[in-house]
Amino acid sequence: MSTTLVLENVTRHFGGVPAVDGVSLEVPAGQITGLIGPNGAGKTTVVNLITGILHLTQGRVLLDGQDVSKTEAPDLARAGVARTFQNIRLVPDASVLDNVLAGFHRHEKTGLWANLLGLPSARAEARQMRGGAMQLLERFGMTELAEHRAGALSYGHQRRIEMMRALASRPKVLLLDEPVAGMNDAEAESLAHIFRKVAADGVAVLLIEHNMRFVMSLCSRLYVLASGRLIAQGEPDAVGRDPVVVEAYLGA
Amino acid sequence: MINFFNTYQSLLDHILVNMLLAASQYVVLRAGVFSLGSAGFAALGAYCTALLTTKLGWNPWLSVVVGMMLGTLVSALLALPLSRLRGVFQAVATLAFVQIVLSATQNWVALTNGPMGVNSIPHAAGTASLLLIVVAVVVFLVMMGRYSFGRALDVIREDETVAVSLGISVPYYHRIAFVLSGALAGLSGGLHAISSYSITPQDYGFGLLVAALAMVVLGGRTTVWGALVGALVLTSLPEVFRVFADYRAVVQGLLLMLVIIYLPRGLADTVIAHLKDRRLRRTAAPPVIAAPVGVLTAQTRSRS
Repeated sequence: MSTTLVLENVTRHFGGVPAVDGVSLEVPAGQITGLIGPNGAGKTTVVNLITGILHLTQGRVLLDGQDVSKTEAPDLARAGVARTFQNIRLVPDASVLDNVLAGFHRHEKTGLWANLLGLPSARAEARQMRGGAMQLLERFGMTELAEHRAGALSYGHQRRIEMMRALASRPKVLLLDEPVAGMNDAEAESLAHIFRKVAADGVAVLLIEHNMRFVMSLCSRLYVLASGRLIAQGEPDAVGRDPVVVEAYLGA
Repeated sequence: MINFFNTYQSLLDHILVNMLLAASQYVVLRAGVFSLGSAGFAALGAYCTALLTTKLGWNPWLSVVVGMMLGTLVSALLALPLSRLRGVFQAVATLAFVQIVLSATQNWVALTNGPMGVNSIPHAAGTASLLLIVVAVVVFLVMMGRYSFGRALDVIREDETVAVSLGISVPYYHRIAFVLSGALAGLSGGLHAISSYSITPQDYGFGLLVAALAMVVLGGRTTVWGALVGALVLTSLPEVFRVFADYRAVVQGLLLMLVIIYLPRGLADTVIAHLKDRRLRRTAAPPVIAAPVGVLTAQTRSRS
């Protein structure tokens, strides 16, 4: 299986302070790779570096073997890198459906004028995208809520909308930034099903999580980040027993 | 009825012209561009139209088209540097543009007649034609909002980081919104010129800039209807409160403050959201608050 996303010695300094320091990892297609670590370890910074929101101080990011370290964020998104946000970021006044539809942006082909004037080509495309969005809603069990305002829904539902929006772009690489934070075990388990299916479809999934149990059950490989450095990596079980990891999480 | 219409015809025309101005402000605000340039583009459109008709004797409607094109052209040029700026910097840059246009209208006497303004402009635009144009613009803006373009604007306004991570190019959409805004303001200015006999620099000063902004804030900035309602209320208010002529500005300011405090989304947007929620409550079953876990897993299983 080809490796989709590779980080080589990725480093980012904020005014001389290294937030992420020499991180190398691989996120292969068709698998869920975990990135864990205590608060402030630099996990979200890694996501921002991969998606081009932040630029690297040192190192390289490779997407399908191509160096994308200097690529701008919108171009990376169009190349197939999708993400969810740790703090939910939706258009609260727009409907659930419209929020999900926004995720289709990279597949929209009709021109500006067609869209401005609502020409038949734009309408046809809108119908097609709508169909795709409704399928996603069904998969996440939210069909009935399609027309509801996103901002009025519960936390768990808003998290799902974030994920549907990311999946709508049919990404090659999916970065999930703490997707089950604040959810109970049953809710988390229903999402785990979906993540497994997404990975099985050939997407390279990088799961950033706090919840050790969730990560253990889902990931084929784990990387542990503490103070911006990788302190351990390997099979979930081995990592879970690693004294260095236990110390970083629980203190000495 | 006819009598009523005659009395208020000029007010009605003024409302329609201001609706276009508010629409111009709405387009940029919807995209999250903090532009104050609408007053400047309106001045360009108005002076272009007025001068072409009075000095060169052009057809008034043709002059309006040229005035609108001038607004479009200048906004297209301004959009290039402006799309690199954000928030308050966009506001200051566009404010500077309005100042430049304003001082030109006041001091370039040979061309603009200076503070005297341009007088005896043919009154070519009647209420019916103005109404027709407003309807056309509203249809256009509703269409614009409905498909991918409007969605992209919403995402950009709400959160640029999200927009960028969805592959939406923020400067591109900012530029288009700004050019549309310039075109609409130019059109509004041109129509003002051919529906009000005379224009002076004071018509397009700081007052108009604030008025355009206030209309959209009052009405609501996520739908076209907000701009229309805002223009209607703020243009007719001074007439309704004629008795308090001396306190006009006070009444207007008070109303704006009340709306900002109690209806921060604006009059029209609040009503629209309320109606939508009510319709949903009636048609749909009450939303399931807890996640339908059992259903979900069953579905996923049956698919795999």
